[in-house]
Amino acid sequence: MNRKSIAKTLGGLAVLTLLAGNASAQNRINVPNLMAERCSICHADELGRLPRIQAQRKTPEGWLMTVVRMQRSHELRLTDDERRALVKHLADTQGLAPAETAPARYVLERRLNTVESFPSQQFTEMCARCHSGARVVLQRRTATEWERLVHFHLGQFPTLEYQALGRDRDWFNIALKEIAPALAKDFAYGDDAWQKWKLVKPAPVEGQWVVSGHLPGKGDFNATLTATLKDAQDANAKDQYTLTLAGSYADGEKLSGQGSAVIYTGYEWRGKVTINGVAYRQVFAIEGDTLRGRQFVAEHDEIGADIVAARQGSGTSHVLAVQPAWLKTGAKTRLTIVGNDLAGEPELPAGIKVLKVLERTPGRIVVNAIADRQALGTHKVKVGGVEGGDLAVFDKLARVEVVPPYAVARVGGDGGSRPKVEARFEALGWATGPQGEYRVGVVPAKWSVAPFNEDARRDRDLEFAGSIDGKSGVFTTNNAGLNPKRHLSTNNAGNLTVVASVANGGKALNAQGQLIVTVQRWNDPPIP
Amino acid sequence: MKHLKALNQKAQLLERAVAEDKVEEVVAMSTVAGCTATVDPGWEVDAFGGVAGLCQPMEADLYGCADPCWWPAQVPDTIINYPDWNKDAPSADKDWRKLDSVFPKDAL
Repeated sequence: MNRKSIAKTLGGLAVLTLLAGNASAQNRINVPNLMAERCSICHADELGRLPRIQAQRKTPEGWLMTVVRMQRSHELRLTDDERRALVKHLADTQGLAPAETAPARYVLERRLNTVESFPSQQFTEMCARCHSGARVVLQRRTATEWERLVHFHLGQFPTLEYQALGRDRDWFNIALKEIAPALAKDFAYGDDAWQKWKLVKPAPVEGQWVVSGHLPGKGDFNATLTATLKDAQDANAKDQYTLTLAGSYADGEKLSGQGSAVIYTGYEWRGKVTINGVAYRQVFAIEGDTLRGRQFVAEHDEIGADIVAARQGSGTSHVLAVQPAWLKTGAKTRLTIVGNDLAGEPELPAGIKVLKVLERTPGRIVVNAIADRQALGTHKVKVGGVEGGDLAVFDKLARVEVVPPYAVARVGGDGGSRPKVEARFEALGWATGPQGEYRVGVVPAKWSVAPFNEDARRDRDLEFAGSIDGKSGVFTTNNAGLNPKRHLSTNNAGNLTVVASVANGGKALNAQGQLIVTVQRWNDPPIP
Repeated sequence: MKHLKALNQKAQLLERAVAEDKVEEVVAMSTVAGCTATVDPGWEVDAFGGVAGLCQPMEADLYGCADPCWWPAQVPDTIINYPDWNKDAPSADKDWRKLDSVFPKDAL
């Protein structure tokens, strides 16, 4: 070995040592000590406690936003590993119980076409005017901390008193004397739910999860998601898992992915998985031996799948889903029943005949089936006495609706930092039976767009805002930036009607939704 | 209003809304999670739920509104929280490609 190669080898060793050092450093981070060292500089009281931090509870994303703000605005110095460890500690020790996050999980799951609705108009106008109401709903604070949040807002965003719904009222006194006490009551720091949740033993994560999913624009899929503890010997890594995903879409395309997950607060599953070369994020809630949530493309959170899963070998079998979720009478259809620990014969309701069992594993049963009119309506299916899934039988649709009924897409790309935000629409079919109207499920449709109103027609929004794929319902926006071809060189924004046309016997059923194509967003935290 | 004449589209929309007594109704309208309902002017949608009354183009008024944090949850405010957000992009019309998102990626 010459001097050069020795130097090279030593250099390599040094790099390896550094990398190993970083990994063990991450595991060695003592968060209470870290907080005593960094947070206490500003937050400690005379007894060395951290009363402001200790008077709040938040989701992992909520704590992340707080810690990132401390880094950005208050010169808190943290490595990425320290930040992750700090957020994990805060979410574990001062998090939200499942019952507390349930009403607003849509925002964690990045279902950003959710039209929010709150019983209090005052809350909507005060809090949800600038950011999602969910951002507030996903916090618990003491009364004093809610009051301080009002002061914080006025200090940080002073013009809020000059905006509409601010300047036209005694904003500050309403915020301080009416909103803050209401929040202290509705979102109290010491909720029973959290006290009870702290006593619950977290459900096991390790093992094989049978996943049923639906990705708008693509279709149903099922898969096996295997979670393996990263380092059983390391107490600091107890909630960190490696993930492997394998499965297939209904159209036959395979799904293959690998990644990792961290479990926060005993149930908040946050995964990062690269599937078929695309980076996805998982935001799931574990509910015993099942989980549900959404898996979305990291750079395009508008592209995401609803997920439900159950852990194999948990001791309780679940029928999670039937794919597709409907049968048209007289049409031979391949059905996939997805669940965990499936054992025994599939039992379909009267009027549905299993022609052939094509596949049977503990995770899925595939059959060819045909239904007659006796089966019209909605049903659960049974496997080995376990009931679940939703299966609708229909002969013709009564109506269809566009989901989401209202969506916001954004221009992007063209060299800018913000990617285009697309919109994905589906046609949801409904049928009528003796018991009334029932949901059939997502049905194939032909898609088109039209100007929403006279303004959109005059401004030729249809020409400039983008285009919809006639088969998939995926609307792709146009480029960001000024467009000299438009009046005032305005952006490629638009206000469009989205039209679904569904074949229904000899006659098409149509439904409409609304699509706003608007401009970029440059402030995009995990809870918008 | 009889001495004022609406010159641009937005003013015409407002005039129409006043005539139809719909101003309160449209101002209080809610939108999807995370889009701002501050619509004077709006960022994603205008006071009428469309886009015809937004600043046109958006870049023409971007800094005028970002500086006084008109929509701080969508556009970084340069008055308090992100004073350097647009330091490399003096002209929004020409330099918008240099504007970056402010929340760190993969932070969790």
